[in-house]
Amino acid sequence: MKAFKTELWKLLSLPGIRMALLIGVIAPALIAALDSLAEKGEIITGVSTRLAEIGYIGLALGVQGAIVLGVLAVSSEYRTESSEADSGKQITTSLTAVPARLRYLLAKACAVAMISLVLSVAAILTTVSSTMLILGDHSPAFEPSRLIGAVCYWVLTALLAMGITLITRSGIIPLAILIINSSLVSFSFILSKVTPLAYYLPDRAGADMFMLDRYSPPLTGGLVMLAWVVVIFGAAAILFLRRDIAS
Amino acid sequence: MMINSCRKIMKPLCAEVYKLLTLPSVWITLAGTFLLNVVLCTVIASSALNGAAGTPDILSFSFASMGYVQAGFVILGILAVCSEYAGGQIRTTLIAMPWRCFQLSAKLLALSIITIPAACMIASASILCSWIWMRDTSAAIAISTLAKSLAGATGYLTFTTLLSAAVGGLFKRMIPALAVLIGYYFVVSPLTDRLLPGLVPFLPVTAGYYMYMPSSSDSLHVLTPLQGTGVTALWTLIFIAAAVVVYRRRDA
Repeated sequence: MKAFKTELWKLLSLPGIRMALLIGVIAPALIAALDSLAEKGEIITGVSTRLAEIGYIGLALGVQGAIVLGVLAVSSEYRTESSEADSGKQITTSLTAVPARLRYLLAKACAVAMISLVLSVAAILTTVSSTMLILGDHSPAFEPSRLIGAVCYWVLTALLAMGITLITRSGIIPLAILIINSSLVSFSFILSKVTPLAYYLPDRAGADMFMLDRYSPPLTGGLVMLAWVVVIFGAAAILFLRRDIAS
Repeated sequence: MMINSCRKIMKPLCAEVYKLLTLPSVWITLAGTFLLNVVLCTVIASSALNGAAGTPDILSFSFASMGYVQAGFVILGILAVCSEYAGGQIRTTLIAMPWRCFQLSAKLLALSIITIPAACMIASASILCSWIWMRDTSAAIAISTLAKSLAGATGYLTFTTLLSAAVGGLFKRMIPALAVLIGYYFVVSPLTDRLLPGLVPFLPVTAGYYMYMPSSSDSLHVLTPLQGTGVTALWTLIFIAAAVVVYRRRDA
């Protein structure tokens, strides 16, 4: 519990994480608002085919806040660019304070999950209110089951970002790959044209939890994404336990 | 006198080129981008062959991977500038070369010297890869069209790298610069395509599209390659100017 509190405090006091929280709250609302504005005419006349996705699209494409959170939670331990002492490796200090590495990792994962959970709820609040503000009576019904799916998607995305960064130890590759993959032009989208297996990649499977353009049922999608997170986290944990941290 | 000023320019430029060439991350980024490009070209070409009817245009398919490959060049630009700030190397650099404006210009020039051949090689690999897949079904392309598109693609990737380097210089740190640039290139820009089509030809990423995509009669194709180059160059210059002004005034 003590380690968890410390990790939570450490994360919340990082300026980068504050930026991630800001992006996480604003980006989905902004995307949903722009999308609602673009579709407003068609929705009012009742010819829109995308009504059921309005608002949710912001939660699918605006997940960058959770990605930056997961990546920074780990990469800031390995390399703080502003600090020049000991090449800025805070991880040595962290592990001196909490030498049981698995406990340290669990505390960090719980802290990331907790912050991303709160962030996703905040994002849902801003997204739903911006959509309702623009569409008024015409806004789609926001079903709790789909919103819970979106919360799970955000938390699992943050954990996935954290797991990949634990393996690479640098934030650049995971940040680039995950942000590209959360966009309209994702790698999974291109791969899905060649093989249906691409629908089981974490981002596609995760989006099945709340988007209607789905390949598998929400629960299966969620379980597939969870399986990805468990496998990547397991590999990251094994590496983290065996690696020489100072190297 | 002439020799002196020539040496004055060449020495920092050589130093910057050498510095970039000895950064392992530059080589890793370029190699990774090349491999990613080959894989994506193969995937795009094979999916096009499955669904295409008639004679597909090789150039449009070869440059479809450009949208993804630019991520590698964004990383390259950011790495070149932000690696100076990790571990305080920037102070050593500025002791050796105290004229900041000149130093940043030398760095950007050195970056272009490395980027142009790399971008040309990657764009050629795209065309070659698509040609291998589609040689039996595609229409023939004129050499002049091919050369223009290749030059456009190389120019676009070079401008992308320089713009990213300038943004990296503004942020000083890799992660925020990368989050902002990748977020813009891959999330915001495709959204503006759909939501604000009127602005599309004048925004940094989308204007660059006209530099290398073969012109078509489609109504969205409003800029000529030369105009596209002009708009992209203007955006790059604006960001470089901002980076120089900030760099000159800021505590390193």
